[in-house]
Amino acid sequence: MRLRFDDSVEAFRAELLDWLATHRPTPEEMAADPSLSTGHAPAWARRWTRTMFDAGWLVPGWPPELGGRNAGPIETLVYIEELAKARVPRTTNVQGLGIVAPSILDYGTPAQIRGYAMPILRGEATACLGMSEPGAGSDLASLSTRAVRDGDRFVINGQKVWTSGANYADFCFLFCRTDPDAPKHKGISIVLVPMDAPGITVRPLPEIIRPEHPDLNEVFLTDVVVPADHLVGELNDGWAMANGSLAHERGMVWVSAVMGLEEAMEQLLQEAPGLTASMSAPERAVANDQIVRLAIDTAAARCLGYRGFAKLARGGSAPEQALMKVFASEARQRVALVAAEIQGADALEVGTIEPDGHQSIDEPQGTWLEQYFHSFANTISAGTSEIQRNIIAERVLGLPRG
Amino acid sequence: MDFELTEDQLELRDNARSVLAGACPPSLVRAVHEGRSTADDLWATLVGLGWPALGVDEAHGGLGLGFLEVGVVVEELGRVVAPTAFLATATQLVPMLRESPATDWLAAVATGSCTGTLAVAEAGRWEPEAVAATARRTDDGWGLHGTKTHVLDGATADQIAIVARLAGTGGSDGLGAFVVPRSALSVQATAVIDPTLPVATVVLDDVEVDQSGVLIEPGDPDAPRRIGRALEEATTAMALSTVATCRSIFETTLQYAKDREQFGRPIGSFQALKHRLADVYLAVERASALAYFAALTIAEDDDRRAMATSMAKAAAGDCQRLVAGDGLQLHGGVGFTWENDLHLWLKRAKTGDLLFGTAATHRAHLARLLGLAA
Repeated sequence: MRLRFDDSVEAFRAELLDWLATHRPTPEEMAADPSLSTGHAPAWARRWTRTMFDAGWLVPGWPPELGGRNAGPIETLVYIEELAKARVPRTTNVQGLGIVAPSILDYGTPAQIRGYAMPILRGEATACLGMSEPGAGSDLASLSTRAVRDGDRFVINGQKVWTSGANYADFCFLFCRTDPDAPKHKGISIVLVPMDAPGITVRPLPEIIRPEHPDLNEVFLTDVVVPADHLVGELNDGWAMANGSLAHERGMVWVSAVMGLEEAMEQLLQEAPGLTASMSAPERAVANDQIVRLAIDTAAARCLGYRGFAKLARGGSAPEQALMKVFASEARQRVALVAAEIQGADALEVGTIEPDGHQSIDEPQGTWLEQYFHSFANTISAGTSEIQRNIIAERVLGLPRG
Repeated sequence: MDFELTEDQLELRDNARSVLAGACPPSLVRAVHEGRSTADDLWATLVGLGWPALGVDEAHGGLGLGFLEVGVVVEELGRVVAPTAFLATATQLVPMLRESPATDWLAAVATGSCTGTLAVAEAGRWEPEAVAATARRTDDGWGLHGTKTHVLDGATADQIAIVARLAGTGGSDGLGAFVVPRSALSVQATAVIDPTLPVATVVLDDVEVDQSGVLIEPGDPDAPRRIGRALEEATTAMALSTVATCRSIFETTLQYAKDREQFGRPIGSFQALKHRLADVYLAVERASALAYFAALTIAEDDDRRAMATSMAKAAAGDCQRLVAGDGLQLHGGVGFTWENDLHLWLKRAKTGDLLFGTAATHRAHLARLLGLAA
């Protein structure tokens, strides 16, 4: 147990920072052409992803032919931290690079890797993830979008919802039912569907904050035809792959959540003396106590993340990992809420902070009150906090399923 | 950055756990609670294994291990609610002795022939600034006057480190520290809810201390730093101990939720209990991670140690509240009976929360450290 990193890790960090300083897109360039959804890659983002791919900085843990440099897990951790500090995302298509491309690399055919995974890595294409449906949210395995084999093609009918980035994405990594008679976990397959295929209608769902830039969508599929060779992996094996694909980078996803939390906390600590200046001493003491509680949560989030990471890096299991999503997202929500309440009625004013275009689109943005409402994206999506608690109780603590 | 114990530290933990499984069964804790036994044999066992020497430097006959190793042992003792002199001796007396000339006591600690503690609190406050006890120059040393409260093991420790200040000084000015044999002091044991962490009041009625008993000369400009660092070790150790006791309560409660059946199924299959247990687990992990971070900052003398210590103690308090409350509630009537061991753990956890500053005390301290205006 120690606080400092090895010299070799620090050398890696120095090399990265040096490279970033000369190659990164400028904040002005990014702000002038912001990403409009997680399926949208502005010109600077496409160039930047390609630049990182060519230099082996896109996914450092991968080999050079996949845009990496065979870096170890500790180097990857440092890499993600430094990128977040520099406020430059490696891609605006987070689900494409984080889940879809790695899944295709794991389970796809050589043609699928060439045609779908590599374009994501080179910044040439973006992907969305077609999972949730009106009747299949937390209970994802009950999804009912059907893909019927018809000779050398699939015919797809159904509806997806909450599909991030579908309004701009080039293709969809679509979960659909291919065996309606099998138990629900065993009849699901994954099919690659170009978003410009006839029969697809995308209806954006403007969100409660920044409705002018919707990221979520409904996707309607009516007699959509794709070639049979667009099936990823084995037929009816989609559920197992879903667990695999969602596990991609799971060892690291906490890092950006924790850094977002730390950044918000730092801002709150900076603003706090000004926000509390006109309060009576007793009210200020109450406000400060709430802020301190959040500072403790923020420090704990990093310590928990590091501890889980240390266990994983040694090849062990890390129950901490299961805690990170619910802990970091709820703490982030409390930071925005406490900050807004300390602001008092001044928190009601909107339009005072322009989105800076640097942040990932699912990072809470805007005023504290806007951030608070926006933060529910992270306690609802990718497994609600309630589902996370079920997972902790059943998979980590071993409590019986109800 | 490596946030996991080393192989050696894990081995120490495993060894400690297996020793204590035999030497400190719940029946011993219960016997101490019921006044039927002392834990002298347990202490003799630990001395025989050389535990008191762990954190003492090699020059004084110790093993020269760091605060993390001491912390690992503190955790294991907290886990089984061990009634021993280790916590007060290794994490309260030793840090006060370390930089002082009166270091012959370190060698005695290492051999197990001397136990000790720290008398800093007054009227339930542990901040050195709150010290009112005075040290007055006499012809051949110092005279101490005042009342020290909540001195852990105060009625049994051999040597007591006492913090006092020059008369007429305040804040962090004029502070000093002495080591005085208990036999020279007027000590009153407090009747407490948890006899495994017993406290006492020490009345200093012009106690004479000669120069050899001076740990920190009153008014030494380095006194606030040295006393502060000793308090950080004591406080972080109390956090580690408390969180370990809480983890034990959590594990017991989790097992109960799996075993106890009502309505034809284990009560732990009900979502209302699942979510509570998930939150309890999270509180334990949150507090444990912060306690280890604090221990790490102390072991490496990192400048975040003051902040990390208060975060650790505050989180240990939060954890204790949730774990003890839910632990007792989820056990139902069974946990409410004297014959069930649960209450022995609950009382230890609450004691650890209330000694060396409550969660609220440490949050107030953090507010100052974080630059939040009063």
